[in-house]
Amino acid sequence: MATSPAVSELSRRPGALPGALLILGRVALGLIFLYAAYAKLYFDGGWHLRDYHFLFAMAIDSYKMLPLPVVEWMAWILPWFELALGALLIAGVGLRWTGSITSALLLAFIGAMTRAKILGLEINCGCFGNNEKLGTATLIRDSSLLVLALAVTIGAFLIRKRRAATPS
Amino acid sequence: MKSRRISRIGIFLFVAIVAAMSGVSARPQTKTPGSAAAKPISATAGSTNAKALGSKNAPVTIEVFEDFECPACRNFFQTSLKQVVENYVNTGKVYLIHRDFPLEMHPYARQAARLANAAADLGQFETVERALFDTQDKWSTNGKIEDAIAPSVPAAQMKKIRDYQAAHIEEINASIERDRAMGVQRNVNQTPTIYVTSRGKTEALPGGGVDYKLLKQYLDFLLRQ
Repeated sequence: MATSPAVSELSRRPGALPGALLILGRVALGLIFLYAAYAKLYFDGGWHLRDYHFLFAMAIDSYKMLPLPVVEWMAWILPWFELALGALLIAGVGLRWTGSITSALLLAFIGAMTRAKILGLEINCGCFGNNEKLGTATLIRDSSLLVLALAVTIGAFLIRKRRAATPS
Repeated sequence: MKSRRISRIGIFLFVAIVAAMSGVSARPQTKTPGSAAAKPISATAGSTNAKALGSKNAPVTIEVFEDFECPACRNFFQTSLKQVVENYVNTGKVYLIHRDFPLEMHPYARQAARLANAAADLGQFETVERALFDTQDKWSTNGKIEDAIAPSVPAAQMKKIRDYQAAHIEEINASIERDRAMGVQRNVNQTPTIYVTSRGKTEALPGGGVDYKLLKQYLDFLLRQ
C-alpha cells in the first residue's frame, strides 16, 4: 500500500503525530469556543454588544443556581472569557493553563446542566445563543467537548514533559 | 523552531476567524425567515386585542405565549408579569399581549383558555387571568374552574361569561387556535415563551419565564433607546 509523503514524514519523526493531533484538537476546541462567544454577541441578525448581557443573564438565571448579582456578572464576562479562551487555544498560548481552564469551565457547564435535568427544569441551554433547548444531546455534546479539552490538556503537559526530558 | 511554527499557524487561524467574523458584522442585518424573532409585531398582533393590556402605542410590546395550567406560567405571572403590568403597562410604556398556547399535557388548559377568551371579549380578561393563575392549584386537579375562581369573579359576571362562551364557542375556539398556530409558526415549544418588540425589532427571551429584576433592566434599556 502506498503511503503519502506527509504520513511518512510524520511516522519518521517521533512525536510529530501527537503534536499534529494536539494542534487539531486545540484548534477545533478554540473554534467551538469562538463560535460560542460569537453566538452570544451576534443574534437575530445583528451584533448585540450593548445588550447581549440582558438576554444571556436571563438564560443563566433560568438554571436557578446562582444569586442574581453573580448571574449578571457572569452574563457580562462569559462571552468575552470564551472569546479569549478560544483565541488562546487556537494560538496555542499557555496551552497547559488554557486547556485546564477550558476543562474546568466545561465541567462546570456540565454540572449545571445535569443539575437542571435532574430538577426537571425545561430551559434553554444558553450555550450557543438562546434557541437551544437543554436536552440529553446537549449533555452528550458538552461531555465530548470535555473529553477533547482533557485530551488537549494532557497532551500539552506530556509534550512539555518530553521537551524537558530531551537534552538540547 | 517547531513551537514557533505552531504559534504562527495558530495566530494565522485566529486572524482569519476574526476577519471572517468582521465580515459577518459588515453584512446588512438580515433575519432568518421563520425564526421566532423575525416577525415584527405588526405582522403578529392578530385580531385578539381583547387579550391585551395597555396602550397599542406603547414603545415596547411584550407577547407572552401562555398555558393557564402551566406552573411556570403561573410563577412568571405572579413574580414578574404582575409587576410589569403595574410599572410598565399601566404607565403606558409597555403593551402586553396574551397569546393562548394550551399544551396537550394539561387537560384543563383549553377549558381555562376558553373562559379567559370569553372574559376578554367582555372586557374582564385581567380579572379572570389573575384569578385563573392565583387558583391554578385548585382547578388543575379537578377541572372545576368556575368554582375555583368564584371568590374573584362575582356570580353575575361569571354567568355573563358562561353565557357568552356558550353563544360564541366557535369564535372562541378559533381565537385560541389562531394563537396556537401563531406560536407553532414561531417555533414556540414551551410556556411561557416571551417576545419583546421595540423599534420594530423582536427578541425571544429565554423560555420558561424571566426574573422581574432582569426583565426590568432589559425593559429600561429598551425604553432608554
